[in-house]
Amino acid sequence: MLILLAAIFLLHIACICLLLAATIHNAWWMTDTMSTDIWSRWILTPAGNWNYTDIPALYPKEYLQAVQASSVLACIFCILGLFVFVAQLYTLPKGKRFLFTGAFQLLAWLCIMIAASIYTEIFHKDKDPGWYGASFILAWISVCLTFISCITYFVLRKKTA
Amino acid sequence: MPSGLIPFPFHLFSFHHPSLSRNPSHTDLRGEQREIMLSVLALTSVVLLGIASQTTAIVVYTSWERHALVGTDVRLSCSFFSWQWTSPDVTFSWHYRPDGAKEAISIFHYAGGIPYVDTKGPFRDRMEFVGNPSRRDGSILLKNVDFADNGTFTCDAKNPPDIAGSPSHVRLFVFEKVPVQAGVITGAIIGVVLGLLILIVAIYYLMRFLVARRVFSLSMSKHGRKGKGKEGSQQKQALAVTDPAKLKAAASEKKKQESRREKK
Repeated sequence: MLILLAAIFLLHIACICLLLAATIHNAWWMTDTMSTDIWSRWILTPAGNWNYTDIPALYPKEYLQAVQASSVLACIFCILGLFVFVAQLYTLPKGKRFLFTGAFQLLAWLCIMIAASIYTEIFHKDKDPGWYGASFILAWISVCLTFISCITYFVLRKKTA
Repeated sequence: MPSGLIPFPFHLFSFHHPSLSRNPSHTDLRGEQREIMLSVLALTSVVLLGIASQTTAIVVYTSWERHALVGTDVRLSCSFFSWQWTSPDVTFSWHYRPDGAKEAISIFHYAGGIPYVDTKGPFRDRMEFVGNPSRRDGSILLKNVDFADNGTFTCDAKNPPDIAGSPSHVRLFVFEKVPVQAGVITGAIIGVVLGLLILIVAIYYLMRFLVARRVFSLSMSKHGRKGKGKEGSQQKQALAVTDPAKLKAAASEKKKQESRREKK
C-alpha cells in the first residue's frame, strides 16, 4: 500500500517536472541555429553565442498567447493538485476516493492538451526547416502522464496504511 | 537658510504633558515614551529633508514609450520632482529627434508663463500645450500623428534655483494597427480560469454550509419539541420523510464500497 502511494506521488511529481520543463524551456521548435517558442527565441550567432530575441511578429499572436496561458494553467493545476493530494491523504474518510485531486489533474490534463493541440495545429505548418524540440515532446508526454494520473486518482480509494 | 524648508510646527509638540501632574501609571508612562519617540522621529526626518534638499537634483518624468494609431492624437506627458517650491520662472522645453536622424530639433518652449509652440517645424499647427506648470505638468498634445512622427521626444524641465538634472526621453511609435501587447491575452485567460475555479469552489462550500445549517436547525427544533405529543409526532414524520432518503443513499454507498473492496 505504501509503495503504491509512493508510486502515485512520484508520478504526480514527474508530471509537474515535465510540465514545468515544457512551459519554461523555449524549445518547442528547433533548427540548427534557432530554438524557439513559446515565450521567446534563441538564435545562435556565427560567433558561437546564443542570443535571446523576441518571437517575430508574423506569428499569430492570439494563438501563441493561448498556448502560453494554457500551459501555465496546466502547471498551476498540477502543483495545486499535489497539495490537495497531500491534504486529502490526511482528511479523507476511509473508503472514499480522491476526487478533488483527480479533478485538479483532469483540469491540468485538459489545459496541457489544449496547449499542445493548438501548437501542433497552428504553428509551423508551412514546411519551415526544422524539427519539433524537446519541450514539444515533453508537452505531449505530459498529456499522457496527467491523464494516467487523473484516472488513478479517480479510481483509487483510501485505505488505512 | 534655504527657502524651501517646510516651517516646523513646534507648537504641536509641547513637553508639558498633562499626565505628568497626576500619578504616572504604567499606561501613562508608555504613552509618554511613544510621544517622545515620535517627536525624535519627526525631528530626524526634518533634518534629513533639509540635508537632502541641498544635494538632489531635479528629476524629470515622462513615459518610456507611447504607441498610437495613425491619425489619432497623442498626449506626451512630462512632469518633474524638485525639492524646491515651484517657482514662477519654471521652464519646460521639448526636443524631437526623428528615427534615424542624428540631431534633435527644438519644438516647444515654455518660459515666463507663456507657452511657445512650434510654428515652422514638422509640428506646426499640430501641437498644443495641455500642461499645467503650476502643478508641475508640462505635457503637450500632438494631433493627427503620422508615420513620419516616429522618433524620440525629450522633455527638459528647469525649476530655478533647481536647474541641475537630466532630461527624460519618450519614444513614439505610430502603427497602422495597434498590435496585441505581449502577455495581455495570456494574463486574461489565466485570470479568468483561476477566478472561475475559485468561484466554483466557494459556491460549493457555501452550498454545503447552508445545507448543513438547515439540517442542524431542523434537528434542533426536533429536540426542542420532544416532550409535546402530536406536534412531536408530526415533526418526527416530517423528518422520517427526509431521513430515509439520506439513509438509503448512505446504505447503498456503503454496499457499493464493500462490494468493491471485496472485489479488490
